[in-house]
Amino acid sequence: MKYELVAGFETHVELQTNTKIFCSCTTKFGGDPNTHCCPVCIGLPGTLPKLNERVVEYAIMAGLATNCEIAEIAKMDRKNYCYPDLPKAYQISQYDKPLCEHGYIQLSNGRKIRILRIHIEEDAGKLIHNHGDTYVDYNRGGVPLIEIVTEPDFRSIDEAKEYVEKLQQIMRYIGVSDCRMQEGSMRCDVNISVRPEGSEKLGTRTEIKNMNSITNIAKAMEYEYERQVDLIESGGEVVQETLRYDDATGTTSSMRSKEDAHDYRYFREPDLVTISTPKEKIEELRSRLPELPEQKFARYTEEYGIPEKDAAQLTKYRSISEFFDKASEGLKAPKTASNFIIGQIFRRLETEADKEAFDVKTTADQLNELCRLLESGKLKNNLAKTALEKMLDSGKAVTEFVSESDMAGLDDSTLTEYCQNAINAMQAAVADYKSGKEKALMAVLGNVMKQSRGRADAPSVIKKLKELIGQ
Amino acid sequence: MPPNRRRITSSSERERKMGQIKRIHEMLVNKEISCVELTKKYLEAIENSNKELNAYITVTPEVALAQAAKVDEKLAAGETIGLLEGVPMTLKDNISTKGIETTCASKILTGYKPIYDATVYELLQKEGVVMLGKTNMDEFAMGSSCETSYYGGAKNPHSLDHVAGGSSGGVASAVGGNLAVYGLGSDTGGSIRQPASFCGIVGLKPTYGAVSRYGLIAYASSFDQIGPITHDVEDAAIVFDAIAKYDERDSTSRGSEPALPTLDNDIRGKKIGIANQYLDGVREDVKEAVLQAAKVYEDMGAEIVYFDLPELKFALPVYYILAMAEASSNLGRYDGIRYGYKAEHYNGTHDMICRTRSEGFGKEVQRRILMGTYVLSAGYYDAYYKKAVNLRGAIVEAFDRAFMNVDVILAPTAPVTAFKSGYLFGEETDQLEQYLSDICTVPVNTAGLPAVSVPCGVDREGLPIGMQLIGKKFDEKTILNLAYRYEQAEHKTIETKWGVKL
Amino acid sequence: MVTREDIENIALLSKLFVDEKDLDSLTEEMQKIVSFADTINSVEVKSGDFDNINNLSNAFRKDEVKESYPVGEILKNAPEQAEDHFLVRKRA
Repeated sequence: MKYELVAGFETHVELQTNTKIFCSCTTKFGGDPNTHCCPVCIGLPGTLPKLNERVVEYAIMAGLATNCEIAEIAKMDRKNYCYPDLPKAYQISQYDKPLCEHGYIQLSNGRKIRILRIHIEEDAGKLIHNHGDTYVDYNRGGVPLIEIVTEPDFRSIDEAKEYVEKLQQIMRYIGVSDCRMQEGSMRCDVNISVRPEGSEKLGTRTEIKNMNSITNIAKAMEYEYERQVDLIESGGEVVQETLRYDDATGTTSSMRSKEDAHDYRYFREPDLVTISTPKEKIEELRSRLPELPEQKFARYTEEYGIPEKDAAQLTKYRSISEFFDKASEGLKAPKTASNFIIGQIFRRLETEADKEAFDVKTTADQLNELCRLLESGKLKNNLAKTALEKMLDSGKAVTEFVSESDMAGLDDSTLTEYCQNAINAMQAAVADYKSGKEKALMAVLGNVMKQSRGRADAPSVIKKLKELIGQ
Repeated sequence: MPPNRRRITSSSERERKMGQIKRIHEMLVNKEISCVELTKKYLEAIENSNKELNAYITVTPEVALAQAAKVDEKLAAGETIGLLEGVPMTLKDNISTKGIETTCASKILTGYKPIYDATVYELLQKEGVVMLGKTNMDEFAMGSSCETSYYGGAKNPHSLDHVAGGSSGGVASAVGGNLAVYGLGSDTGGSIRQPASFCGIVGLKPTYGAVSRYGLIAYASSFDQIGPITHDVEDAAIVFDAIAKYDERDSTSRGSEPALPTLDNDIRGKKIGIANQYLDGVREDVKEAVLQAAKVYEDMGAEIVYFDLPELKFALPVYYILAMAEASSNLGRYDGIRYGYKAEHYNGTHDMICRTRSEGFGKEVQRRILMGTYVLSAGYYDAYYKKAVNLRGAIVEAFDRAFMNVDVILAPTAPVTAFKSGYLFGEETDQLEQYLSDICTVPVNTAGLPAVSVPCGVDREGLPIGMQLIGKKFDEKTILNLAYRYEQAEHKTIETKWGVKL
Repeated sequence: MVTREDIENIALLSKLFVDEKDLDSLTEEMQKIVSFADTINSVEVKSGDFDNINNLSNAFRKDEVKESYPVGEILKNAPEQAEDHFLVRKRA
């Protein structure tokens, strides 16, 4: 029997605010242990939380960028559980009135992954276990998170991978998170079940917690899918449980012991007041959103005629698309700029991180200037390419490497003169060409190029040579 | 005073008894006594009497004398000082004080020295406070007699066989016993008013949000409120005006209007409501004393209106369900990792946390944590917590309706006078009796209203009886105005033999 | 009805140990309090709109960094600490 995978995601994304969600400590990653702490974020008795306004704004922006409805009235709740990384023994989160609900992200196969909700909450501290001893560092405690919960809409691992990439892309575009999975600023929990293909009924699900790379998500899902199918095929039953994925062994194992009986006893956080977001405020936040990758992709492919593969590369990171948008401004064929970026510039950016950082010496304006010269015919393609290399090395403008006369190109009489010189000088090659050896003309072309110090445009030279030889 | 500057009100014709704070202020300004001398008097009195009254958990002579010396320097330099400047006072031991042990009268917080000051203490420090020490209370403010304190209960200065009340029993005992001029307590379900009433002094529970809770160790966050316990209504107004300030660190804080400027206003035409249900189950002599006070008000030109407030009958269970639920969450953080007591013998983190909490919390606190966990747990949430929240809304509305017809509500502060020590936890006493004794005080906290308790008589044994005036939200000035006029007309405060005689 | 199992469960959630010998008396005590709390279930009430006590909303803080406390202060009250961390030793 064939089995269908059914999966849903809960993704925690750390927001890139300056300060923590309920106090004014910095959110900077790293730092010596317990140096980004104050009485509030270590939960000293008597302290009270005060909500960071930017957290609410970022969460709403994340909701708007994923097609959510924004709650005009939201509130904060306490999620009670006792664990050493949680200094108050409750996490301030949102239960029944989250900021955002009912959104979706559309995948390239056209399917929509429904987003159930996005809510804000505080991160926990970090525990280091050493020979049974536990060391606690609260630097991360109180860093703002949004939790993005989807419906169980995934039917394949590829969909899951694309969703995570898209989510990262959107969050980075709107500038609310860097979504670095290795640093833990984006963490995924996946719930998985399987069912016989064609069945509508959901199977018993398991949840794999806290995965920190797309590769691991794929591997863990793959393993868990196989495990559940094997279990059912061999007459067993899937037990609803929480699992951890072990990267080293490539397997999942159960996480919970009896000690952590879980009943979160959610209730209204009495230390915080209602979050009220009037329609005007929502619209103001909407207006702050940049053009999203999906919209850019559509513009590039439909309006500019850029191939989908190239458009995908241009829109992958906001830094690239912004560079491109600026570099292609006012061009008749924006594709020219795209070709330079995906060709010559990308050759210099080896890793994904390099591409995201997009740290190149040439500015978008300089590339724009280069493209304009090319479009106006003032600069020939081969010259432009050489110039760009030099520009990328030095950060200097195109005019530093291409002179006025270069740009003026060759007038017809000069071209005729050079061509005639070459024909005279290379009689043997001309004869070969006349006898049918097409390639022999290339040697003559080389001679012309040499005389023109590269200013000549190859197709024009060949045209002129053929004219002269044919006489 | 030249005749043309004389105020044309009836009040100016009567002699006003000055409150303790103003009297001390005059003594300091007139150099009858230095602030250090005054402070030493109080420290000595504490030294002499605290063994019996058990009002203080921690005495802070170094802090107090240093603060007093600063006031003396200012006076010597001819600078003017504020009304509260140099007046020796105390803080309930659930108000955080930087570097000074703050225990909540619990074993679990032994040795805990906060690294920050509560907002109220910050405000008072700006006023030039002299802080004598931290006073006794029911453990985590959970109790009505101060007897759940890890350090043993504070005694009533009117009778050592009786409790000082709770939970702010230590403050009430200290102020009633003249071991401090005034103190700050906290009131979650009556914890300022009831001990003030038991000790024959004044206690003001401000509107929820009038005074910042930042630094107040939480019992039940949506009920807790800090307020003054004083000898006189005037003192209560002075202290209230100093602490009722908006605080950006407390999201529920709003501040309030000052009460002192209108303290002596005429009260003719004021409508005072008496809810029949507030008198149900109240001991006869207490009821008599309150009704007698109503007559006094009538004589002063106020109008007495009787009305029904049937919602009062479920205020008590609603309060206990919600307060215990919040408490179970607020007290989760005491796990032996960051501060306070930690169990010595254990095996692993989970075991350490459970042992620390089981050894560190007293019985009543554990009972309330368990009960709070129960009402929030899956399967019971709707029947208890959610229902109680809805009923809380109904109680708020009921008071709103009542206040459309009256300016204040007059009620007994407690159905009885001070309990005999040990009574509440005695063999024959139903364990619910402790909770039931809060019947008169909790409705105010449930609705977030302000209320002030003032002495209005004594019982056969000579124990004080208190009445409370309940006001509209953020209308402390009206209840203090009415309380002041009553106090000035009746002078029901009885001095005790203890402490500093001014 | 409050059962012994209820008490064991909420004790676990509350991170409190209940002695086996106290379990029955505690169950009984809790039953009393629960019965008292149950009196609210005899009241019919329309679903109230109770939000927060003063109906406040939007008490926000600006996203501006203030200096954190020195690690020495943060750890000042820690029963045990090592290498600038709060510490829970395993013990036996």
